[in-house]
Amino acid sequence: MAENLLEVRNLKKYFSTPRGMLHAVDNVTFNIEKGKTIGVVGESGCGKSTLGKTLMRLHQPTSGEVMFKGTDIANLDLKEFKKKYRSNIQMIFQDPYASLDPRMSVLQLISEPIKVNNKNLSKQEVEKKAKEMMELVGLAKRLEMAYPHELDGGRRQRIGVARALSLNPDFIVCDEPVSALDVSIQAQILNLLQDLQKDRGLTYMFITHDMSVVKHISDDIAVMYLGQMIEKCPAKEIFKNTIHPYSQALLSAIPIPNVHHKQERMILKGELTSPIDPKPCCRFAARCPYATDKCLAEEPVLRELKPGHSVACHFAEKFVK
Amino acid sequence: MSENILSIKDLVIHYETQEEVVEAVNKINLDLNKGEILGLVGETGAGKTTTALGIMGLLPPKVGHVIQGNIFLEGEDLLKKSQREMRSIRGKKISMIFQDPMTALNPVKTVGDQIAEVIRLHERCSKAEALKKAQDMLAMVGIVPERYKEYPHQFSGGMKQRIVIAIALACEPELLIADEPTTALDVTIQAQILDMMRKLQKDKGTSMILITHDLGVVAEMCDHCAVMYGGEIVEYGTVEQIFDNPKHPYTKALYRSIPSLDQDVERLHVIPGMVSDPSNLPTYCTFYDRCEECNEECGKHDPWIVDIEPGHWAKCFRYTPEWSGTPVADPADTKGEGK
Amino acid sequence: MAKMHTPAMEKIERRNAKRKKPVKSTPAYESWKRFKRNKTAMIGLVVVCILILVAILAPLIAPYDYQTQDYTAMLQKPSGAHLFGTDQFGRDIFSRCIYGARYSLVIALFCTIAALFSGGLLGIIAGYFGGKVDTIIMRIMDIFQSIPMIMFAMCIVAVLGNGIPQLVCAIMFASMPTMARNNRAAILRVRGSDYIEASEAIGVGQWKMILKHMIPNAAGIMIIFFVGFLAVSILMMSSMSYIGVGLAAPTPEWGLILNDGKAYMMTAPFMMIFPALMIMITCFAFNLLGDGLRDAFDPKMK
Repeated sequence: MAENLLEVRNLKKYFSTPRGMLHAVDNVTFNIEKGKTIGVVGESGCGKSTLGKTLMRLHQPTSGEVMFKGTDIANLDLKEFKKKYRSNIQMIFQDPYASLDPRMSVLQLISEPIKVNNKNLSKQEVEKKAKEMMELVGLAKRLEMAYPHELDGGRRQRIGVARALSLNPDFIVCDEPVSALDVSIQAQILNLLQDLQKDRGLTYMFITHDMSVVKHISDDIAVMYLGQMIEKCPAKEIFKNTIHPYSQALLSAIPIPNVHHKQERMILKGELTSPIDPKPCCRFAARCPYATDKCLAEEPVLRELKPGHSVACHFAEKFVK
Repeated sequence: MSENILSIKDLVIHYETQEEVVEAVNKINLDLNKGEILGLVGETGAGKTTTALGIMGLLPPKVGHVIQGNIFLEGEDLLKKSQREMRSIRGKKISMIFQDPMTALNPVKTVGDQIAEVIRLHERCSKAEALKKAQDMLAMVGIVPERYKEYPHQFSGGMKQRIVIAIALACEPELLIADEPTTALDVTIQAQILDMMRKLQKDKGTSMILITHDLGVVAEMCDHCAVMYGGEIVEYGTVEQIFDNPKHPYTKALYRSIPSLDQDVERLHVIPGMVSDPSNLPTYCTFYDRCEECNEECGKHDPWIVDIEPGHWAKCFRYTPEWSGTPVADPADTKGEGK
Repeated sequence: MAKMHTPAMEKIERRNAKRKKPVKSTPAYESWKRFKRNKTAMIGLVVVCILILVAILAPLIAPYDYQTQDYTAMLQKPSGAHLFGTDQFGRDIFSRCIYGARYSLVIALFCTIAALFSGGLLGIIAGYFGGKVDTIIMRIMDIFQSIPMIMFAMCIVAVLGNGIPQLVCAIMFASMPTMARNNRAAILRVRGSDYIEASEAIGVGQWKMILKHMIPNAAGIMIIFFVGFLAVSILMMSSMSYIGVGLAAPTPEWGLILNDGKAYMMTAPFMMIFPALMIMITCFAFNLLGDGLRDAFDPKMK
């Protein structure tokens, strides 16, 4: 078995709001194997982005552990984390239009991380490395002096990829990197990410709401609902043997681009309930068509049903096909 | 054959500013049958929304210009109508739903009042009657009618989009244009909204143009489908024709570039190059620079519409009988337009 | 090349043909292009430039010395010899107004720079660090602001005495809260953007973040406030001089000239009309310029 690059244990991130504690990430536990991609899916407000940012220490975890190469980076002093681990864990942001400083040229944008993290490099060396990065992500040389506003979404996202990669990270959190892009551009970026993974042995956490993208790129998929991980299984498994009722509903809701594909659709009632001070019950119970009294009384825990396939549902066995 | 409710002929729309002219819509022809749903698919900048705004008569003033063409709604040319006439047509005969439900509602008026307002604009009735009808509309889109006294911020995103739909349908328009109605919503909510829209469309017999970039949504909702690229409709047909037998190279490439849920693909297909600059379109086929199936003739002339099977056409030279590389002449091109 | 040629396209092509070479599109150039298109803003800019020229070339333009008294020509109506007429001491009001531009513009500039460095800096610190720092700074500014600006300035002059440095100091303190508030808002707007978080993720340090990302991106808004403040400073300075707590006679400051004319309002209204016009035109021009800059830097903010 491959070694785990990242082991997340009972990670929690609560935000205090005027109306109470918002449980953005609640007791999440999972491992990521080296060189693999874990896809995190869920609807808006399920805490998937917060999870990514907490791993990055852009948000400070409320409690829990994140073991990275044998060190607990969640409880490390922030200054020390930045010094030792910042360049190991990088992030690609969702909106390539907003995540680049509009007043910097392409070369400046890509040089920035190199310059900041390697203070002893000369200006020429930084520039040389930045140019290498541009080539690596497929940005033409003539774009060096261009500004983000002149480029299309795909090229901007390539800048984002180059910035993250320039620090030679082991682990990259991809926060909806293709959601703002058109399908033909989306394919370019997904292929680029896959190629880079193959060449450099990168490990990804791929956050998205798009099931077809996540299935394409991931080895494992984790489904999140209201801050909790409710199902985790190999990517191939989820589309054949989905167990949790929410995952089933999520899958059946996706419109398939095939006119002969007439599937039974499971339309959920209502919308997400509030993640502020949730009651100790199954968080999906209010919308679940199979909910019983037990679901309303007791919180299910994530348990392994089959090797590699874990579900948080009291009646998971019932849904195994 | 069923009757056309909407018919667009040779429509050209440009955006003119001091710096540049953007050729947003280039000679599109489109027919919509009564009671059908037409899907308009394409990527950003393909001219989908501009077409819709053109039909509504809502192009940005001073900048957006209809250069030529006609838009017939039940035989009447909308482009010949005055601003005042258009105002009475909008909302009554054609309605539009915009992408972002958050900004389409007035935050300081109750939702009931907002629906009633549209009704009273187009129908003679008392305020009480309009409010009564507004409550019926809310019930129709699946919101408890008693909530008509609440303000938009008290509703969630999906609920707001339902209200926007209720407003659009309040006067029972004959044509509904939905511009990416579910793009801002989560999939489970999208499923609810699409489900509801289909039911309403069946019950009321409303004709609909559904603008989207999601091929899945088109496959599920539409009867006909038009694929747009660079301001042109490059392929048109029934959804079965377009999905089972795509002909235009762009349509085909588009299919291969989306990750599929039911098949395993190692690598996605990439359409090489990028979308042509709409302020500098070529005189030849717009897709030529990215096309993998073209020959050199494609780089010389603008292709015309070629029938593939009844009701299915593509704007591509590949399907002309002469396709083989010999020079071709446009049988329809007698006016010698363009340059 | 195009699918269909229209007259609008030909117009642009003709114009482009005249242009020698394409200009590099930087964010600053884009802003300038937007600014150039705005006619009222260009008028503001031209008027401001004329005023600056007038101030610099005052000795060349002014037909008389601003303090030479001529008792043979007192309170004369505007004429060819005295464009704006003369005051009770026979001084040429036109010359005094011309020299007044020097005082008004220079002092206003100093006031605004001083306010920017004090209030602006406080605002930037409050905006960036947030939390307790923000609360403390902004509450102090609130206390400052609860005293009317002009009153506050008068109190400072009362303590420090008359004179240009004192006046600058007074106006600086009086306008500090507004300056701090505006700059804080500008920084907050930038701080919320994704690229700041993205820079944090690649390990950019605190000060680099402020200097390299936040200030350049907030600079547009800050310049807008800066220009707007010039107008406010001129107004404030003139009002203070007018009520007698600003500069002392015989300085040809517009507010002072106005004050001189007060006693003769009925018999020689021109004594007040012309300096008042100068103040009005200057402030108006700065405001036009400020509005134009806002549209140029920040097309979304309208």
